[in-house]
Amino acid sequence: MASPTVPGARRVRRQLPSSPWLFAAPGLLITGAFILYPFVSTLVNSFTDRRTLVPGEYVGLDNFRELLHDDMFWTGLRNSTLYVLGVVPALVLLPLLLALLVQKNIPGITFFRSAFYTPVVASIVVVGLIWVWLLDERGLVNSLLETLGASPVGFLSDQWLILLSAMTVTVWKGLGYYMIIYLAALANVPRELHEAAAVDGAGAVRRFLTVTVPAVRSTMVLVAALSSVAAFKVFSEVYLMAGPSGGPAGEDTTLVMLVQRTGTGLTGRVGYASAISVVVFVVTVALMLLVLRADRKEES
Amino acid sequence: MPTSRRTFAVAAVAALVLPLSACGSGGDGAGPADASGKVEGDITFQTWNLRANFKPYFEGLIADFEKKYPGTEVKWVDQPGEGYADKISADAAGGTLPDVVNVSPDLVAPLAKAGLALDLDKAAGQYEKEYLEGAWASHRIPGMDGTYAFPWYLNTGPLFYNKSLFDKAGLDPEQPPRTYDEVFDAALRIAEKTGGDTATLANVPTIEDFGRYGVPLMNEEGTAFTFNDAKGVQLLTRYKELYEAKALDSQALTATPESSGKKFLTGAVAMNPGSALDLANFKKQAPNLYKNIGITDQITSTGHVNMYVMGLMVNAQSRRTPAAVAFAHFVTDAAHQMSFAKQVAIFPSTAGSLDDPYFTKEDGTDETRVRVAAAKSLKGAVNYTPVLFSEQMKTELRNEVAKALQGKQSPQEALDNAVKACDRLLQQQG
Repeated sequence: MASPTVPGARRVRRQLPSSPWLFAAPGLLITGAFILYPFVSTLVNSFTDRRTLVPGEYVGLDNFRELLHDDMFWTGLRNSTLYVLGVVPALVLLPLLLALLVQKNIPGITFFRSAFYTPVVASIVVVGLIWVWLLDERGLVNSLLETLGASPVGFLSDQWLILLSAMTVTVWKGLGYYMIIYLAALANVPRELHEAAAVDGAGAVRRFLTVTVPAVRSTMVLVAALSSVAAFKVFSEVYLMAGPSGGPAGEDTTLVMLVQRTGTGLTGRVGYASAISVVVFVVTVALMLLVLRADRKEES
Repeated sequence: MPTSRRTFAVAAVAALVLPLSACGSGGDGAGPADASGKVEGDITFQTWNLRANFKPYFEGLIADFEKKYPGTEVKWVDQPGEGYADKISADAAGGTLPDVVNVSPDLVAPLAKAGLALDLDKAAGQYEKEYLEGAWASHRIPGMDGTYAFPWYLNTGPLFYNKSLFDKAGLDPEQPPRTYDEVFDAALRIAEKTGGDTATLANVPTIEDFGRYGVPLMNEEGTAFTFNDAKGVQLLTRYKELYEAKALDSQALTATPESSGKKFLTGAVAMNPGSALDLANFKKQAPNLYKNIGITDQITSTGHVNMYVMGLMVNAQSRRTPAAVAFAHFVTDAAHQMSFAKQVAIFPSTAGSLDDPYFTKEDGTDETRVRVAAAKSLKGAVNYTPVLFSEQMKTELRNEVAKALQGKQSPQEALDNAVKACDRLLQQQG
């Protein structure tokens, strides 16, 4: 008996080649609208003198030339670089130590795991403001220092201390997030390796350096890459600690703060801010490549 | 099938690109530039952080307008205070600016230059006489003809001071300083008597401070800034003296109005500018301070205090210009400004309104004392903030002032650099 003809079957078959595109369309649309288009638009704008309400004209490399002579750009580049140098080593090492600490299954450890993770889910603005209150000239930290007979410290008035305070908040807030990543990696380290090392007479520090670190090295590279990109693009912590002007005389301004300050508002210089954004993008990609290259070198 | 794939690919690209291309299109079908037609149709009205406290007032106002002009419908949107300029920027760039927008003069300037603000001298010049002369003029832009917003409410703030801190420093709490030089002398005295523990001021000087000190801010043509003259240098030199003596708070270089307000609440600084609204806040949050609160006029060395002007701009691309102009005028006319002033501590910009007994007679309370004093000072007040002074210029001035206070450069060098940077930004604004 011949199979009955299904109405519309031919039409369905003809549409099949397009089906993958249809499935991908929502994702493509979202990626195109919110990632690809802004990226291309920023790139194009960086070669124009576009302002918020004025379309602007092509100016070639003028914006990039201006950057070279803009003191605030160099201040921003310096601060963003310092931020990476200050924050990344701490975020690679401290969460690993924390993960080792909470890895053990002892009573009540879930509480500590949750407690260490809490800052990750808290709003950066809220925790930033709490830190501002703590570090204020008349805040809790300075009151404690005064009780101990020390002079108040200008955590929020000295250019370098502001940056250091912001780095502290970034590290404090990031500890829990990277700790979870390390916990997952540590769960895959065979216990036998530790036991064998212990039998061979290796102490805790030696076991950490020769067993744990090599086993989680790829995770450390991942954490270094993620945290360096995030640190280079820092905005909220420094903005909250240093204020909208970027600290005394703008000396704590980071590159992303400079983008925000230059490119927003009714008189924003969108073209120039886009040029700074392009520099941020190039440096970020370079940082990623640097970390991955260092990892490959180590592997070989 | 190659054909259907190609068709699909074209459709996908079109679907991706077309919505995006709409983003920067702006309104190309602008409405009539005059307001002489029939008042009808739907319009959108945007306020600046007013819904939370004044929802019933505005709902009543809109209902009255719609009743007076049948066939009109006003959609009211309110935007938060934070990021208000960015919201307007996005709307202006996207061609979705409301028909009537709550603005301040510095927001009007770039919108007027971009052709987005209706020239009211042409479209609604007959209403000019209803407003205070200075208030109507506050939305004129140097280098352009015309007036670009209806003046709405005015505000000026008194200066609050902590009487007990004055007393501790041996100063008469009933004789507060009135000019900048008197403030500087009192501040140095307080710092000296408290061993640098109590500062008097919490903020670095702003462009309004330079104006109230008597420094000319711009040339007459509005094409260049001039606040680096001898008087400006003198003001900054005195602030440097205060900073070194700890009479200016050590966190002043990074202070915001909110942070300095908190410092005043905690008794860390002796004086702080504010508004009549702050009294209720003091009463609630710092009862001890409230008992010792002193209220005096804004500090000025010119005899004129600073006033802040709010306005209502009509979108030049509105398709309902007659209705938008009629509504903006309705909201800002004398009767409605007066009724709004009775809701909150603001002052009408309409001619004669400040002579109403509500603004001239005290009833013995602090609230009326502040209100009457403020209304009196508003009669000779000046809007010192140049309308062309953008956020970026404020940052440039602030940063250069900070360098001078830190001793990284002299006050003269700092102001020269600030003027140079602001002039460059002014040129770039076009």
